[in-house]
Amino acid sequence: MNCKICGRRAKSEFCERHTEAYKSLRRMYDEWKKVMDISWRNYLKEIKENPYTGKWAKEVAAHLLASEMKNSSQ
Amino acid sequence: MKTLLLCEKPSAARRIAVALDDKGCPLEKKMGIVPYYESRRNGKILIIVPAIGHLYTVAPKIRNRDIYPVFDFEWVPRYEAERSAKEIKEWIDAISKLSADAEDFVLATDYDIEGATLGYMILKYACGGKEHKAKRMKFSTLTTSELKSSYDKMLDNIEFPMIKAGICRHLLDAIYGINLSRALTIAAKKWSGRYSTISTGRVQGPTLKFLVDREKEINCFVPLPFWRINAKVEIAGQLFTIEFEKKVVKNQKEAAEIAKACGGKKGKIVDIKVQEFRQKPPVPFDLGALQREAYSLFKYTPRRTAGVAERLYLEALISYPRTSSQKLPKSINYRSILESLIQEPRYKELANILLDKEDLVPNEGRKEDPAHPAIYPTGNLPERKLSVSEMKLWDLIVRRFMATFGEPAIKQSIRVSIDVNGYIFYLRGRRVLKEGWITFYKPFMRIEDIILPPVEKGQTVEIVDLSVEMDFTKPPARYNPSSLLKRMEDEGIGTKATRAEIIDTLYTRGYVSGDKAVVSELGLDVIDILDRYCPEVISVEFTRELEKSMERIQEGNEELENVLERTVKKLTPVLLRLKESENQVGEELSLAIKESRMNQRIIGDCPVCGTGKLIILRSRRTGKRFLGCTSFFKQSCNVSFPLPQKGRVTAAGKVCSYCGFPMIRLKLKGKRPLIICVNPNCPEKKRKGSK
Repeated sequence: MNCKICGRRAKSEFCERHTEAYKSLRRMYDEWKKVMDISWRNYLKEIKENPYTGKWAKEVAAHLLASEMKNSSQ
Repeated sequence: MKTLLLCEKPSAARRIAVALDDKGCPLEKKMGIVPYYESRRNGKILIIVPAIGHLYTVAPKIRNRDIYPVFDFEWVPRYEAERSAKEIKEWIDAISKLSADAEDFVLATDYDIEGATLGYMILKYACGGKEHKAKRMKFSTLTTSELKSSYDKMLDNIEFPMIKAGICRHLLDAIYGINLSRALTIAAKKWSGRYSTISTGRVQGPTLKFLVDREKEINCFVPLPFWRINAKVEIAGQLFTIEFEKKVVKNQKEAAEIAKACGGKKGKIVDIKVQEFRQKPPVPFDLGALQREAYSLFKYTPRRTAGVAERLYLEALISYPRTSSQKLPKSINYRSILESLIQEPRYKELANILLDKEDLVPNEGRKEDPAHPAIYPTGNLPERKLSVSEMKLWDLIVRRFMATFGEPAIKQSIRVSIDVNGYIFYLRGRRVLKEGWITFYKPFMRIEDIILPPVEKGQTVEIVDLSVEMDFTKPPARYNPSSLLKRMEDEGIGTKATRAEIIDTLYTRGYVSGDKAVVSELGLDVIDILDRYCPEVISVEFTRELEKSMERIQEGNEELENVLERTVKKLTPVLLRLKESENQVGEELSLAIKESRMNQRIIGDCPVCGTGKLIILRSRRTGKRFLGCTSFFKQSCNVSFPLPQKGRVTAAGKVCSYCGFPMIRLKLKGKRPLIICVNPNCPEKKRKGSK
């Protein structure tokens, strides 16, 4: 199985690097919700644009947003 | 009767020859390319001959580079093992010839593990088994007085336990480095058919792991918002920035409430706290501290600092720099050093301040080194014009030395608490009341006093410009060569002599690039692979344990053979595991190498089409390199830029501040790198051209 983002070897949807980044994204969403009122979609948008977000986390956020858009258009 | 004195480097040999010659004027001779000196001292003829670092090295008995594991190693002349060391043969031959006429032997190399080991090997192999006959000169500076005294009080033997530890270090590094690097290189070559050196080592692996762990943390980082309440206060017609009592407000709603409550309100001074504190002088430099300070002040890499310091030592301007001591023993004679420094106009006044003191007591640190004291100026003044970097480093060492004898600095801090509708803001001031040691170290310090106007409790003040600012948590900082060196020191891996070189290797292998060490795909993959197949070889604990074993050998509490046996036992299954997985390891490494090579060719985003990347290409017709856009292959952008045809071109990682085009880093051999804008029509280039 290959990573849906970078095509590297993967055990599930993402490779090890992007899985770690995904976990970080999920974990931090809980923290964001504690400090401000924000939806998952807006959170992903913020994260994707934020200059401090790590490269892999940004790639995961972009991928999730793109798949969400794809799903909603279907 | 002749005595052969063996030194580490030609410039050290010249100084020793001059110092030991009765008239200070030794005969300069040459045997082929090898310089040597003949000095006369008390009727004796001294032949002083230098080496050029190590003349012998460790090499596997099986020379075929495609075979691993190899555990049988031997010491051989460097020219037999390294293609680039052909001239070593002439040095070994010259030393052998000169030793044939000598009756006595004296080792006068640097007094540390490397100096002792390289001297031992020369005495053993080039001089025909004179290692047990040789005496030892021990010195920490190359000043005439110390060299004479060191010759007169020379030690009866060379330091065998230290040498054993040195031999062990070389063997361990070879066993690790050669086997693991071969395993990775062969795996990649077998899979891709292309050769590229992939190295790792006993210290290199764990060091790269520090960088990779940090890189992963940064790449997975998700920032969290927080808020700051910013405001200013007007006192006596002047505006001062004030801080909200909580440096950060973690909740958006709370931040808005504070701003609402304080907006347009006046403040009342409710408390004024004045504190005085003493700041002790800094401790003298050991090598690591000097490297860190030189990086923070001048941006010199640890390796550059070590190189410059070595030159200053060879010029007898400073003491031996490869030390981990923070102690300055009385025996170095503080007063006479300061009295000599008076001759340099810029130190005259400063040295006199110290000489007026009755007692000179340095503020020493805790670290000790049995071989050498902390780095200090010898008091000698430069005999030639020093380069800019040499001058800066010498000045830093001189001033630091003087500062350690200074009085504590006395500083004052003031905190004024201002109540604004129930919320507290702080107005802070600070100033230096008594400079003390700062007087000596001023050029290397940034001191900004904030002087507050007179204020009193109960006074009402105007609050202006109150605002709420949203900010985000930042990812951890990337290592730079200096902070990486510190981490290696803290973790106890590598030695003061090898750390800077290991960091440099990570750069030359392409695992890391830039001042803020960014790990390449190749670096990430090498650690990923080692972590999966043989985590023990990148474990800090194991490397640290080996360092301790070497210390025990040096203390005479451990046998070299036992340490080697344990290492081979540990490494054998690791290498077999790598061999079994050669195909998979090779595939992963080859992909990483390919990607890394491709990334190295990309200079930045195309400024013309905005979608493609500028990449280094070669013209099929002329063979010349140039920059083209990757969108050319989609036939949507045909922009191209010329490139210099000589030197190594890499991405500078920034865009030109004048035209916004990407910049390249051009490194010509022996020159410092240049950062150039790729745009031939860049307005800045035109401006410089017209000048």
